[in-house]
Amino acid sequence: MASQDPFDCALDLLRRLNPKHTGDHLSNIISLHPDLAEELLSSVDQPLTVQRCKQTGRDYLLCDYNRDGDSYRSPWSNQFDPPLDEAGAGGVGAGGSNEGAGEGAVPGERVRKMEIKANEAFDVYRELYYEGGVSSVYFWNLDDGFAGVVLLKKASPQGDATTSGVWDSIHVFEASERGRTSNYRLTSTVILTLATKGASLGEVDLSGNMTRQVEQDLPVDSDESHIANIGRLVEDMELKMRNLLQEVYFGKAKDVVGDLRSIGSLSQGQKDRETQRELIGSMRR
Amino acid sequence: MSSNTAIISSFVEGAPPGELANVIEDIKAITGPDPNLIKNLSPAFQKYNEEQFITAKLPGGSSQVIISEFSALGEGRYFDSESQSSFEFDHSTGKAANVQSHVLEGEQASLVKSTLSTVGTYVKEHYPNAAYGAYPIENDTKVAVVIVANKYSPHNFWNGRWRSFYIYDPSSNSLEGSIKVDVHYYEDGNVRLLTDKKVNASVSAGRAADGIAREISTAEKKYQEDLNRSFTQLSEGAFKALRRQLPVTRQKIEWDKVASYRLGQDIGGGSVRR
Repeated sequence: MASQDPFDCALDLLRRLNPKHTGDHLSNIISLHPDLAEELLSSVDQPLTVQRCKQTGRDYLLCDYNRDGDSYRSPWSNQFDPPLDEAGAGGVGAGGSNEGAGEGAVPGERVRKMEIKANEAFDVYRELYYEGGVSSVYFWNLDDGFAGVVLLKKASPQGDATTSGVWDSIHVFEASERGRTSNYRLTSTVILTLATKGASLGEVDLSGNMTRQVEQDLPVDSDESHIANIGRLVEDMELKMRNLLQEVYFGKAKDVVGDLRSIGSLSQGQKDRETQRELIGSMRR
Repeated sequence: MSSNTAIISSFVEGAPPGELANVIEDIKAITGPDPNLIKNLSPAFQKYNEEQFITAKLPGGSSQVIISEFSALGEGRYFDSESQSSFEFDHSTGKAANVQSHVLEGEQASLVKSTLSTVGTYVKEHYPNAAYGAYPIENDTKVAVVIVANKYSPHNFWNGRWRSFYIYDPSSNSLEGSIKVDVHYYEDGNVRLLTDKKVNASVSAGRAADGIAREISTAEKKYQEDLNRSFTQLSEGAFKALRRQLPVTRQKIEWDKVASYRLGQDIGGGSVRR
């Protein structure tokens, strides 16, 4: 216990402090221990920022995977905003290098083609499940396949003064291609903030994030089938996580409050249980 | 140094119910060895303990005493009306020591005693495990009532705290206070429920101690019902509006045909026009 790993402890601390202010806690931890900055920023999910693509006029989401320095790549136009300095963009050619997050990971030609299809597919997915919001998909090359992130964000309408909500989904996957099958490893995080207030209720804030992982081997016969496989994986995961969030945010929270304080009288509850036990006992005799 | 202390203090003050020790361990690992850490944090510990109504057992005693601004005597000492004693409280270890007799004999002394009895009856009827206290405050002109209930289940990755306080003003018969609920769930995630509800009531004629307990009982019952209703409303309202469980068609997406969805815009009824 004497010397614990500072990185693990920083993550543990972020799992304990109010998840509504993870960004503030993160920058505070970094100012205490600056060496942790890079590792923490790339492993802690935060609510996504929306930006409008100058070329297409469509909104897209910003994350570490479409960032190069201070510029972000639009999935719709494939252009960085602000544009990258030619000299600074080094090493990214049609063959596709893979520099990873935060280094302008522009996918190679084949992977970019899949990225375009995935953006179209998840745009449909977004409309069907979110009926609004913004989606973005970013792919990058790996030595034995490719990787990507599927992002979805929806905020409740701002006109409502009493209740507000924001949902952010971040699905990071790696696809390792093994002939006719591909191994997919998916890590999904949903960040969900809900708040409501009223004269009689006062203020209620339910904020948080949950992360789940899944790994699966699926058949692949074309690049289209990659999109379908990733689509199903993300769709199943989101369904699972939505159910989990519902259970924790509304079921578990209510149960814990009920464990702390009983609405009904405890002595009456005790009497009722004793009466029931006697009844059951008398039926057995 | 001072800005670091401010940051670390904010971590301490934000510790979820029952997790202060874990937060301190994390801080130690992040900052590295610092012999002055605990000393520098003592104002933050005091603030946390008083705001969270942290409880302690007196040496040799079995009942819980509450740390709060209402029971503070200054210089690290607090008092407990029930046991008529005062004690020294170590904010960093959470231990009470040096117990002395502390007999209440001011103007509010009898109201404090009778309120302890009526509120105690109420608390036992509705809290499986809670501490409560009543204290004369503001130069013996008012009476404060404090209730705190904790349930820690770290093996199941959740902890919870209910805390409420009320201030009774005998000159106006008003009862003002607040109820705060704090629930933390952290299995493969971090979910927090934080609530804050102000209470304003008036204690009607009759014995004040009965009226105080009655108003607290009424306000807390109503609040818990309102809170439960808000869970249902958030689940059925804002949550559902953010993301549907299934598309309008009530079927999962046919990913092999997803390209044709765009052409057939009627599917799902959404407007996919770009």
